[in-house]
Amino acid sequence: MFHTKKPSTMNSHDRPMCVQGDSGLVLTTDPKPRLRWTVELHERFVDAVAQLGGPDKATPKTIMRVMGVKGLTLYHLKSHLQKFRLGKQPHKDFNDHSIKDGSALDLQRSSASSSGMMSRSMNEMQMEVQRRLHEQLEVQRHLQLRTEAQGKYIQSLLEKACQTLAGDQNLASVSYKGMGNQGISDMGGMKEFGTLNFPAFQDLNIYGGDQLDLQHNMDRPSLDGFMPNSDNICLGKKRPSPYGGSGKSPLIWSDDLRLQDLGSGPACLEPHDDPFKGDQIQMAPPSLDRGTDLDSMSDMYEIKPSHQGDALDEKKFEASAKLKRPSPRRAERMSPMINTGGMPQGRNSPFG
Amino acid sequence: MTMAIDGAQFELELDFSGYSSTTTTATISTENDHDRGGNWNGWSPMVDWETLSGPHDDFQDLIDSMMDDGALMNQSIRLTPDTSNSMSASGTVIVDEETSCGDDLKGLRLVHLLIAAAEALTGLNKNRDLARVILVRLKELVSPNDGTNMERLAAYFTDALQGLLEGTGGIHSNKHHSETNNGPYHHHHRDDPQQRHHQSDVLGAFQLLQDMSPYVKFGHFTANQAILEAVADDRRIHIVDYDIMEGIQWASLMQALVSRKGGRPTPHLRITALSRSGSSRRFIGTVQETGRRLVAFAASIGLPFSFHQCRLDSDETFRPSALKLVRGEALVMNCMLHLPHFSYRAPDSVASFLSGAKTLNPRLLTMVEEEVGPIGDGGFVGRFMDSLHHYSAFYDSLEAGFPMQGRARGLVERVILGPRISWSLARIYRVRGEEACPWGVWLAAEGFQPVKVSFANHCQAKLLLGVFNDGYRVEELASNRLVLGWKSRRLLSASIWTSPSDPDL
Repeated sequence: MFHTKKPSTMNSHDRPMCVQGDSGLVLTTDPKPRLRWTVELHERFVDAVAQLGGPDKATPKTIMRVMGVKGLTLYHLKSHLQKFRLGKQPHKDFNDHSIKDGSALDLQRSSASSSGMMSRSMNEMQMEVQRRLHEQLEVQRHLQLRTEAQGKYIQSLLEKACQTLAGDQNLASVSYKGMGNQGISDMGGMKEFGTLNFPAFQDLNIYGGDQLDLQHNMDRPSLDGFMPNSDNICLGKKRPSPYGGSGKSPLIWSDDLRLQDLGSGPACLEPHDDPFKGDQIQMAPPSLDRGTDLDSMSDMYEIKPSHQGDALDEKKFEASAKLKRPSPRRAERMSPMINTGGMPQGRNSPFG
Repeated sequence: MTMAIDGAQFELELDFSGYSSTTTTATISTENDHDRGGNWNGWSPMVDWETLSGPHDDFQDLIDSMMDDGALMNQSIRLTPDTSNSMSASGTVIVDEETSCGDDLKGLRLVHLLIAAAEALTGLNKNRDLARVILVRLKELVSPNDGTNMERLAAYFTDALQGLLEGTGGIHSNKHHSETNNGPYHHHHRDDPQQRHHQSDVLGAFQLLQDMSPYVKFGHFTANQAILEAVADDRRIHIVDYDIMEGIQWASLMQALVSRKGGRPTPHLRITALSRSGSSRRFIGTVQETGRRLVAFAASIGLPFSFHQCRLDSDETFRPSALKLVRGEALVMNCMLHLPHFSYRAPDSVASFLSGAKTLNPRLLTMVEEEVGPIGDGGFVGRFMDSLHHYSAFYDSLEAGFPMQGRARGLVERVILGPRISWSLARIYRVRGEEACPWGVWLAAEGFQPVKVSFANHCQAKLLLGVFNDGYRVEELASNRLVLGWKSRRLLSASIWTSPSDPDL
């Protein structure tokens, strides 16, 4: 049985005193009673989940019933189950050296500290494993940030190209029909690719791209690309957020997809008969804030699931540090330090 | 597809990483992963060289014999004693089988023709006329826009061979540099202006490649992670980039620099981009534009940054003395070749960069290049086949992830992979007879010291791949080298080095 434990130095928060309840549960005495997931309790939990057919089938209620532990509330189980489920997300290569469940960390901690007879090397090994786990989480976080940064940069690239092109062409309105006549076969490729969320890119194609000479007409180009309200006719980039809107991966995948499902790319991209049916993301399209007059173009760019993706993705991103999809789709979801309202823009046009 | 079909296909497929999307890694006769470079002799197609004893005006018979489906079928079936069993076992799906068999047969046929053409071009029995005829026939059979992977791939290879045949595949003389090195702009085989790649196409294709595959990100991120680790405690960092293109690689590095943990102050970053004199039309703009963009980006995230440009000589030689160095800065040399970037770079130029790097004693040198198969003694044809295998894997990897987006893939193939194939073959053609070794090997020979790939770096690569189709894999082939591969084929190698003489040690 596990009795009161000294607070482990590994804890990220202060551990108040623990008391052992009648049912064998170890609860803490701080105002918000926290349940200590001891080894034994966790094992019972795992057993129960297994009995119920796995973390996806099991629900807190049923687990509670199966476990039959007094004092265990749905609240406890809910959060523990969620952690367990997340931990079960297969990062296939990590199986060998990662312990994915947060409660498993407790497990280690408690077993490490409770048994004084643990050999030193075992402790070291466990610590090594924990270290690796933390490192992996770090890597995930970083990868996500970096991918976003890259996506953001690319987005500015595209917008700039679009702007300059628009400037060259001196067109205020674009004819949708014009696109059809262009005969640029690759536009078809873009269309087929679904919502290629580079409105800039699509614009480029519209203009035939044969006068693209971005060398001239760069009036403060570098900063313009970052201006949310730059009056370009690049479509889809209507979100007020500085790097908002597009630049996402043209890959539309349902947010329900787990990472492993992404391997079967076809599955999620199959319903693609109508290239403009971009609602692969199963969420209701929010009312999008389009600043410009897009009447003629609206049907071509009817989908901006990217925006929808923003809303949901933000939450998910906050909720789990795990990497879901570090694709450029997240480009617009800037890390907070970048995306705060006032960008530290070098207004004094720094041209190295 | 039923298992029976898979079984049948298994036997019929050549091991060109499968030009269908099955996941078999079928090998035929003696060809296997380890052997693929050297054993092409076993595959010398059904050209009966003895019959070419006298002058032939018309090779049609010869071609027809190669085209004979019966012959092909026999040969294929010969390799697969079980085929008849598996075929008869699934009576209800005969129709499907025939179609896919048909595809495979056609693919086989194309491969045979290509190899024959390659042989005719350079083999022991060189015969340019034969080659020409074969290529004509090939052109009738393939199109870069339709058909299976193999067919489209064959189209580009046919073009490339055509270029070699006509001698316009010449990236030989310096004189042609300005034309040929326009990269995607000037597919020099075609004078047809329609074939010039529009900037929008180029940008779009690159973006698509980025999104559909991990190739670009793998190279960039692996290099960046190594750089971050090497300069972890430095206040001033100077990166010399051989081929900056649009500067995309540096966006994520910059972001990582401003979010360095551990209470370290944000360092000052300086990037010097090497630019080619002469034609400065690049991807979507010039190096200066890239610089401006980077400056703006850095400003937006609050990174102290400055950008410089350094011109290469007219023959693209790098002169270290042209660099402006600052005392106390950590010097990093960055070299992205082939994919993830895709402009043509003359080997001499690259060599000059790397040798120059040596004299500068950089803290780190990052190198990303394509991974070639073992270079046997197969000569041109052997390396041709290796190249076929290589690009076939690319095509497959794109298709596996995005089977429905054929036209998008077609764009990437046309703008990026097609030209690469031409350059690749031209290079192989030029140096046939010599050993052209990968740059990693060259660096080691020059005395550069390997730098270990960290756990975090490897981890990052695996994570990155996890987002894409699970046919990708990353291997750590050496302590300082990560290799990205598709199924059984290694495609891209990222290696990290430090200067030979490290005074800190």
